Amino acid sequence: MKVRVDSQKCVGHGRCYEIAPDVFLDDERGHCRIERDEVPPGQEAAARRAEANCPEGAIEIDDE
Amino acid sequence: MSADEAVQKPPSNPDLERGTVNLFEPSFTACPQPVYRKLLERCPVARSVVGDGPVISRYEDVVWALRHPEIFSSEMDIQVALGTERPMIPQQIDPPAQTKYRKILDPRFSKRRMAEIEPEVRSAANELIDRFIDAGRCQFNQQFAIPLPCNAFLSLMGLPQEDLALFLELKDGIIRPHVGMEAPDAEACAKVRVATGQRIYAYFEDVIAARRAAPRDDLMSYLIEVELQGERLSDNEILDICFLFLLAGLDTVTATLGCNFAYLAANPEQRRSLVADASLLDGAVEELLRWETPVTAVPRLVKRDVEVNGALLKAGQMAMLLLGASNTDDGEFGNALDVDFSRERNRHLAFGAGAHRCLGSHLARMEVRVTLEEWHRRIPEYEIEPGAVPTYSAGIREVQHLPLVWKTGA
Repeated sequence: MKVRVDSQKCVGHGRCYEIAPDVFLDDERGHCRIERDEVPPGQEAAARRAEANCPEGAIEIDDE
Repeated sequence: MSADEAVQKPPSNPDLERGTVNLFEPSFTACPQPVYRKLLERCPVARSVVGDGPVISRYEDVVWALRHPEIFSSEMDIQVALGTERPMIPQQIDPPAQTKYRKILDPRFSKRRMAEIEPEVRSAANELIDRFIDAGRCQFNQQFAIPLPCNAFLSLMGLPQEDLALFLELKDGIIRPHVGMEAPDAEACAKVRVATGQRIYAYFEDVIAARRAAPRDDLMSYLIEVELQGERLSDNEILDICFLFLLAGLDTVTATLGCNFAYLAANPEQRRSLVADASLLDGAVEELLRWETPVTAVPRLVKRDVEVNGALLKAGQMAMLLLGASNTDDGEFGNALDVDFSRERNRHLAFGAGAHRCLGSHLARMEVRVTLEEWHRRIPEYEIEPGAVPTYSAGIREVQHLPLVWKTGA
């Protein structure tokens, strides 16, 4: 499962790193930051939940 | 029906025949969900009885408006209504200028930053509870919901806790200037606002001077020292930011706490599920924000003629984006009228969306979460005083009268 974040859309609601801290991190500004585009095994549900809870639709999950 | 029943029957709001809605009457703020439902189903673009502007309810329409500030602008001339001399920063400014201010302000209001003041907020919450826990009762608004956010605000800004009463007075002078007046009229209120506005500017001018002479590790010092594109902020810019923080940081959190506890006091099963399972806390904070949406609407000035959901909006109109309605839109939230702390998909708009996403959202969430934790750790069982009817202010949903009672050990 791959994840992509559109940083142009992100405004720092912070739901992603609250819901899936093993997938999404926060930068200095409180915006979303990801270190790798591969979702760690076992984190698929959390990643999907983060995608579903971003009011800006900034997260894209790719199931391949 | 009897005369008693007729008096208690709520007025017809919204008026579906005329397509109008009154967002400012207390029975709306006390129980907005039925009004939202009617608007969503029958009148997704209604007209406000105050000001005659469009009121937009559907989630997809509200979010579209929030993401198009070039059409739905925040640059509105309401200085007279607020006692300000200039637009407040960054709320009353549009991108791209607004974006630059957010870049320097966001880091100070991040979730990480809020974690730094969490211990103080937790202490403050417990101190407030200490004062009334043995009495077995409290007036939640006056004894908790008002002082806690003020305490947090003063901590964050680096201002003395002794100024708490002064701050509340300054805030009330702008937001409810009519209180204490025998015969309030628009002119008298405007005078109080302008005078209060001057006192607010004077207060912060003094703090700016003091921090310039002796900088500290606080938000005021940061505002003085931070650089925006290589230049420090002017004194006026700092004042315009501080004014906004004063107005935006207090009532909103008070309203959120009040709405939450009115709900939890009246819904013991929901409350007990939360007390029993701490893993529900994050979901509960978000679900209560969605359900209650304490800031029910935000205004935007329409910049050009535009069609929204089949309705034609005209340039110059003041649109109200009804966040509370969009938060109960079935099209976005399945079973929108169910309050479900385990809700899977909750992209609520209680903090807005787009460029003006509430700067204080992480502060507010932290205050609410800490309150839910500490209160329920110490007073897990409580109810609204039997016979009492909570009263809500018009505008922001502040629960002005919320007497809570519980059994004491004594």
